[in-house]
Amino acid sequence: MTLGGPAKAVPGDIAILGLGNVLMGDDAFGPSLIKLLEARYRFPDEVELIDGGTPGHDLPLYMEGWRALIVVDAVKAAGAGGEVRLVRGEEILKRSHSAVVSPHEPGLAEALLKLRFAGGLPGEVLVVGVIPLRIGSGMGLSTPVRNALPAAEAEILRVLGRLGVAVRERIPPLRPETWWEA
Amino acid sequence: MSKKITIDPITRIEGHLRIDVEVDEGIVSDAWSVGTMWRGIEVILKGRDPREAWVFTQRICGVCTTVHAIASVRAVENALGMEVPKNAQYIRNLLVASHCLSDHIVHFYHLSALDWVDVVSALSANPSKAARLGERLSPWPGNSRKEMEKVKRKLQEFVKGGQLGIFANGYWGHPAMKLPPEVNLLAVAHYLQALEIQRKGNQAVAILGGKTPNIQNLAVGGVANAINLDNETALNMNKLYMIRDLLEEVVTFVRQVYIPDVCAIGGLYADWLKYGAGVTNYLAVPDLPLDSAGTAFDLPGGTLFDGKPETYRRISSFQDPYFRENVTESIARSYYDGDWRKHPWEEETVPQHGEFDPDKKYSWVKSPRFQGRPMQVGPLAQVLIGYISGHEPTKRWADLALRTASDVAGSTLGPEVLHSTLGRHLARAVRCAVMGELALKHWHLLVANIGAGDTSIFVKPTFPAGEQRGFGVHEAPRGTLSHWVVIRDGKIANYQAVVPSTWNAGPRDGEGRPGPYEASLVGNPVADPARPLEVLRTIHSFDPCLACAIHTLDASGKELSRVKVS
Repeated sequence: MTLGGPAKAVPGDIAILGLGNVLMGDDAFGPSLIKLLEARYRFPDEVELIDGGTPGHDLPLYMEGWRALIVVDAVKAAGAGGEVRLVRGEEILKRSHSAVVSPHEPGLAEALLKLRFAGGLPGEVLVVGVIPLRIGSGMGLSTPVRNALPAAEAEILRVLGRLGVAVRERIPPLRPETWWEA
Repeated sequence: MSKKITIDPITRIEGHLRIDVEVDEGIVSDAWSVGTMWRGIEVILKGRDPREAWVFTQRICGVCTTVHAIASVRAVENALGMEVPKNAQYIRNLLVASHCLSDHIVHFYHLSALDWVDVVSALSANPSKAARLGERLSPWPGNSRKEMEKVKRKLQEFVKGGQLGIFANGYWGHPAMKLPPEVNLLAVAHYLQALEIQRKGNQAVAILGGKTPNIQNLAVGGVANAINLDNETALNMNKLYMIRDLLEEVVTFVRQVYIPDVCAIGGLYADWLKYGAGVTNYLAVPDLPLDSAGTAFDLPGGTLFDGKPETYRRISSFQDPYFRENVTESIARSYYDGDWRKHPWEEETVPQHGEFDPDKKYSWVKSPRFQGRPMQVGPLAQVLIGYISGHEPTKRWADLALRTASDVAGSTLGPEVLHSTLGRHLARAVRCAVMGELALKHWHLLVANIGAGDTSIFVKPTFPAGEQRGFGVHEAPRGTLSHWVVIRDGKIANYQAVVPSTWNAGPRDGEGRPGPYEASLVGNPVADPARPLEVLRTIHSFDPCLACAIHTLDASGKELSRVKVS
């Protein structure tokens, strides 16, 4: 059961939350990376992978209480499509009115602000973002954004390593469940 | 001289809607509701397997996932003339009810209460006085003096940090804010408590649906929740009791907090029971089916024209031709190629972007019509149709809410005040209370049916050669949702989703008749054109979810509202 279910298996653990609408081109980057990670690695129990979609005002429910939260998302930033950007939670909170973050709904800034007021802000928040090339009705990642998947994956593994989490590679890997590309 | 105000985007978190209003001498003289982005689920689904359509449709909108999944499986089942097992109906009904409860509570406390509640004013509240007031209104334990002191302290610390954070964009100190500091403090406490309740509603959906936000347990022909009371992984008594406990907590909050709060705001802002009626034609479809075929329901559906009770006509089933034959969409003022009004089965989706032109095309939202007329959908339509058709729980809760609001206002408020901005909020709370009662009823129906030995959950669909047409209706939190499918040789040939926010947020039609958002704004006061709080109040009362209406999830969310005065 993912978060939003009754209780976390281990309190204070780590979540990787992929955000984005899979029907909107490069906005599918977050969910795509979650499916890719699930297919390529075995994660220990304290790490939870969540295909969060675009949960709007339910977003704080998926973010609250983690020791560390890694958000994978399409981000609005200066640069070329497919470039990977790392944004720390503190920066998002600081820049809440000219928000960095995502070109779609969930309102990462609002969710963090809400948790800061209500309680439940994660111990650490890191956004692994990609600059989208094309967000609009239709499925499938553009080539530069698809090519950014390995860099984002490496970034996540590096962060997990720093947090003391060891992942094991699946040999052979499974097929990623990116049904929206079928 | 008239001033033109643009608010973009209007929802606090969700959606991509723009509202243009023209203000003349402090009164709105004209309004345009503009959906600013296009998403074509129709195009995405063409040629796909109808059994998988719901997996795609539930991704249309991140908030309304469950509702688009339900409408989609119902549409395909309707096309195939299928019945689904009773257990499947009850499990779907529990999903629908849990989602609806959570959604309404979140909408009120987190998306629109701040139009009425001045957070900054709560800083000057006397906590003991707030607690006394709260304890007089309701037995809710969260109204204690200790709780009020805690919340005030929290707010003080938050503001001391130099930032209002999540509240930074409110219209604090606006002349249209009228609540005493103690009521504001109570409301801030309830804002925080609502977050906890939201979590519980979401947990109930997660247990039934396997996951949230995108559920996994639906199927054309039923549900995928294996029922085995002795099996850990199946739907068993342990899980069922967890669901009941969660629902009971949510229902208690609705009765002891949400209903009293909305009634208090209704009574203290009684002026707003005069503004914002707009289109008074109403539409709701029946829901919470009690049988396999979808012919008996716990929630009534029907139509009402010009707010007149004598025009009430019932929509009696999931197959009712009265609904099927009378829905059309107009694109006269929308960014699509052509100038037609068509039945959803006959529509083609050819986007044709243009510039905003208030006299021609100006929105990505289409204009749905019923017998050619604009209709308002949502909790107000649900409650009025329930009230007029004699639906007992609706009548009981509506009368209670009106009585409570009358006591606060010091004058008698009858059902006619519901045709208004605040009437929509009252109706939403009433609907939520009704839904809470029925959620527990359907939990009992499910348990009793399983107890009687019925564990069937699924009937396998078969797709004959040739063409079938179907429609699936669901009375979602924001109102009537219908999915329309044409299947040819087992594949989707056409698919249209006519969603609640399209009914309400649609632009004018070929005859120039405005949609409900637009009509509801005209004639309302705007005290300060630089801070058009009053416009927000009326639009928020509809609970806009433009992510739905224009099928887009693109919004930067960086400003909560951009206000341009020209």
